[in-house]
Amino acid sequence: MRLTTSRFGRIEIDAGDVIRFPSGLPGLEDCREWALLADSSNEALGWLQCISRPDVALAVVSPRRFVPDYQVRIPRSELTPLALSDIRQAQVVAVVGTTGASLTLNLKAPIVINVEARTGRQVVASGDLPLHYELTPNRQPLRKSA
Amino acid sequence: MLVLSRQRDESIMIGDNIVVTIVDIRGDKVRLGINAPAEVPVHRQEVYEAIQRENIRAARLGPGDTENIGRFANRGSGQPREPGSR
Repeated sequence: MRLTTSRFGRIEIDAGDVIRFPSGLPGLEDCREWALLADSSNEALGWLQCISRPDVALAVVSPRRFVPDYQVRIPRSELTPLALSDIRQAQVVAVVGTTGASLTLNLKAPIVINVEARTGRQVVASGDLPLHYELTPNRQPLRKSA
Repeated sequence: MLVLSRQRDESIMIGDNIVVTIVDIRGDKVRLGINAPAEVPVHRQEVYEAIQRENIRAARLGPGDTENIGRFANRGSGQPREPGSR
């Protein structure tokens, strides 16, 4: 399918690459279908582009790439809807945000994608994890989760 | 708002498949047990609202905002997959 997006112009998305989020995302409940795009200039970055709203896209990264000691614990009830038969089917990404002039990662509510089934869900991780983990050249220690 | 009085170990039912049980009461803190179908998300309200706000803000970011993110990344694998690279 062809999509005209506000950020990336016209893009072509294979129907098999559409990822369904049956519950949408908090605050973006009407966005049920997304596509994960690679960033053209930054290999560490991807974009989750909403299919139905061309102006909505979330910058996402693999959190381990930026926070090596990030260990995410997700309540079973949060993962059940994804019907993962094997945890290796799961791809975990964190949403990039900003605080002031800094880029941040939402480590509290990562997005989990069932790569095989092409379904996704934003989950709330257990423990004391920051919603705004600031990216700095000198890595900040991650608070240990409770 | 419907207001009900309950004691420890008593429950309320919401619809026919959600049960909220008062597990413990200590001072001004109440511990609740919630039994709900897997497809019904259950969240602490203030956490959920903070995530909503964060998503709405994050959805306004564009490639111009993230162009320097690479300098915070470690080298190695783990980048998001490209479409079709299953």
